[in-house]
Amino acid sequence: MVVTVTHEDFAINRLIEERKNPEMGAMVSFIGVVRDDGIERIELEAHQEVAVEELEVIRDEAFALFPLKSVDIIHRIGDLNVGDNIVLILVGAGHRQEAFEGCQYIIERLKERVPIWKKEYTKEGERWVPGKGE
Amino acid sequence: MKIRVQSFARFREIFGSEQIREMEEGATLAALLLEMAAENHAARAALFDENGTVRRYIILMLNKKRIDREELEKTTLSDGDELALYPPVAGG
Repeated sequence: MVVTVTHEDFAINRLIEERKNPEMGAMVSFIGVVRDDGIERIELEAHQEVAVEELEVIRDEAFALFPLKSVDIIHRIGDLNVGDNIVLILVGAGHRQEAFEGCQYIIERLKERVPIWKKEYTKEGERWVPGKGE
Repeated sequence: MKIRVQSFARFREIFGSEQIREMEEGATLAALLLEMAAENHAARAALFDENGTVRRYIILMLNKKRIDREELEKTTLSDGDELALYPPVAGG
């Protein structure tokens, strides 16, 4: 299983095939992609070491809360264009309910806690996407 | 004593990605923030609101441990400490 913050794109189909095992009846994936909000591109920045540690904590929490078989979390950083993948969360479980719940738990905590930031570049200029409370 | 300060995203553009700051023995985290804010208007506006209090949304990690605003005055720094300065996160 993988938890990483990387410049590289991910190959979702290959990862799904690698994770499948006979105990799994359900796999749920969340893929965040760059939406066209009138932007030309975005830049993602992370406090890499802390971001990976925090993602590992969130993964461990998900395993403790739900009966999951596998969790992979890949978050990209660097320059991305509209339509590019930002984040993949792939959860395998015996049944769909825990797979959905586990996947949602991870993306919600990721958005609250993991030190990653986005800057949007438009024709008019650039701006940091504000986080909660900013 | 020397304190390593890492800043990210919007704060990186104001404070630089990394700086080593020289502080007097026994200095608090609150004192460090005041010194950083004193450098220019952008620095002050980034760290403090108009009432002179540290902005509510800033995330401070001292040696990877999150420090609440209420603890700034009583958090004494030590030589080699590492402070990370975050705006609110916005990943995903």
